[in-house]
Amino acid sequence: MRGRKFPGVRMACLERASPALKGILLKRYRDSNFMEIDHHLYEFGSVEYHIQSSASDTHYIYLSVSTPLLSQGVMRPYGISQYTKQMVKGIRPDIVEIVEPAKEGYQLTLRLDFSGIPIGKDSVKVIADIAAVQAVILSSQLKEMLMNVNPQDTSQGMYKPLKLEYHPREPFFIIRQPQKIIAVFPIRFKDKTDVTIATAFFQELMDVGSSEKWRKAPPCCWSPIPPPELRGETFEDLSTNGGFVSFEISSRHVEGKRLDKTVWSLLNFYAYVKYHVKSTRSFIQRRMRKRLEGLVEVLGKRRNTEEKEKDEEEEKEGNHKVPGCMNMRKLIKISKPKVLQRRYDDLSTKIKRIRWRIKIHGFGRFRRRWLKMPKFSSSMGYIRLE
Amino acid sequence: MSNSLRLYLACIRNTLDAALCLQNFPCQEVERHNKPEVELKTSSELLLNPVLICRNEAEKCLIETSINSLRISLKVKQADELENILTKKFLRFLSMRAEAFQVLRRKPVQGYDISFLVTNYHCEEMQKHKLIDFIVQFMEDIDKEISELKMSVNTRGRLVATEFLKQFM
Repeated sequence: MRGRKFPGVRMACLERASPALKGILLKRYRDSNFMEIDHHLYEFGSVEYHIQSSASDTHYIYLSVSTPLLSQGVMRPYGISQYTKQMVKGIRPDIVEIVEPAKEGYQLTLRLDFSGIPIGKDSVKVIADIAAVQAVILSSQLKEMLMNVNPQDTSQGMYKPLKLEYHPREPFFIIRQPQKIIAVFPIRFKDKTDVTIATAFFQELMDVGSSEKWRKAPPCCWSPIPPPELRGETFEDLSTNGGFVSFEISSRHVEGKRLDKTVWSLLNFYAYVKYHVKSTRSFIQRRMRKRLEGLVEVLGKRRNTEEKEKDEEEEKEGNHKVPGCMNMRKLIKISKPKVLQRRYDDLSTKIKRIRWRIKIHGFGRFRRRWLKMPKFSSSMGYIRLE
Repeated sequence: MSNSLRLYLACIRNTLDAALCLQNFPCQEVERHNKPEVELKTSSELLLNPVLICRNEAEKCLIETSINSLRISLKVKQADELENILTKKFLRFLSMRAEAFQVLRRKPVQGYDISFLVTNYHCEEMQKHKLIDFIVQFMEDIDKEISELKMSVNTRGRLVATEFLKQFM
C-alpha cells in the first residue's frame, strides 16, 4: 500500500484483488462486534479507496473508488462508462450495488450488502472478487475500447494506433487489424543494467514464444526500432532505450474467459517486466555476496594453512601459540619431576651467576656511606697531557 | 578448463613466480617513508619492465613490477552486453570490499577491470606460492562466476517468460 506522498512509486499489483482492501473487508466480515469504520486507502500513488460503514446500518458497507482511467492520453470528463458499471455490478449482483451519484472525489461508489455473502469458504472468494474492483474497472475499459475501435479509422491504408496510458510516461499502443490486434509496448528504463536484463528477458520471451509448445500463445516480437504500425506517432512516444515489444492477439486469445486473462496480462506487462528486472537484480546481488564469501574463504584458507605451518615450525622449536590468538603463548602441561628439575636448573644458574659471593642485605648501602674512599681532586682541574 | 585458458593461466603463474621477488626498500625521495614504488614510479631504476600477457584482445593481464611491489591488472572477457554488465557489477562489488582481500586494489588501472597490488609486506605475511595460487584461482573463479551468472539470468528470464505466456493459454 503506497500513500500519495510517494507519487514516484507506481507499479501495478500483479494480483487482481487489492490486498489491503481485501484485508479490511475480511476483518469487517469476521468481526462480530459491528463497529463503525472509516478507512482511506491509497495504492500505487494513484488509486484511492474509501471504506465506510455506520454502526446503525451494520449490513451495508460503502466502498468508493478513485482510479486513473485507462485513456488515450487525456482523462475522460464523464468518468466511468455504463459498460464498466455493468461489469462492476456483474462481480456479484446480489451483493454489489452502484450508488448514484458517486461520492464526491470518487468515480464509483458501491454499496456492499454483507448479509448476502455466503458463510464458509466461499466468503473469502466473494470478498476477493469485490476487492478486485479496480482490476475490473481497468479491464472493462480496455475491453470497451477494443470493441469500439472503428475498423474504418485508417490513415494511408494503416489502422490508427490507440494510445493507452495506464501509468504516466508508460503508454502502450493497441492496433486493431482485420484478423488480429497488435499490442505494442515501448520499453523505457532509467538504468542501463535494467535495460540489459529486460532485453535478455525479451529475447527469451521471443525464443519461448516461437517454440512449438507455445504456438497457441500470442506471437511476441522485440525490436530496438519502432514497428511500422507506429509510424506517425510522436517522437516522444517512439524514443525508448529498451526497444519495443509487440504481441499479436488473435481471436483465439479473446474468446470467452480468455479475454479477461489476456486483457489483464496486457495491462500488467510493464509491471511484470519491472518485477522481473527488480528480482533479477536482487538475485545477482545475493549471488555476488555469496561468491565474495567463497573468495575470501580461499584467501583465509591460504592464510590459515600458512599460519598452521608457522605454528608447526614454532612447535618444533618449542614455542606454542594458542590458535586464534596470535600473541598468546600456550600454557604447557609439564609433569611434576620436570617442574622440579626446571626449578633446580634455575637455582643452579642463579648460584652460578653470583659466583658463590655471599650477599648481605643492606651492606651495599652501608659500604657506600661509611667505607667510601675520599676523592682527591686538584684545584687546577683537568690537565690535558700533550 | 579449456586448453587456451590453461596456457594463459600457466603463463601468468610463471611470470608472477619470476616477478614476485620483492624486498623492503624505503622511499628514496622522502626520508622514513616506505611506499610501493610501482604506484609512485619516482625512480626509474627501481622499476622493471612491465609484462603484458594476452589471451585475446578482450582478455589480458598486465604485470608491473618494482623493487618492493608488484601490480597485476586483469581484463576479463565480456562477450556481450549482459556479460559486460555482470562483469562490471561483480568486479565493482569486489573492489568495494577490497579490505577483505588485502591485495586487491580499490580502483583498477585504466583500461583494466580489476587490479591487485602486492607489496613486500604481503610476501612476508603470506607465502609467495600461495599468493600466486590465490591470484590464479581468483582469475579462474571470476570467469566461471560470470558465465554462471549469465546462464542463471537467462534461465530466470526463460522461466519468467514461460510463466507469462502460460496466462494466455
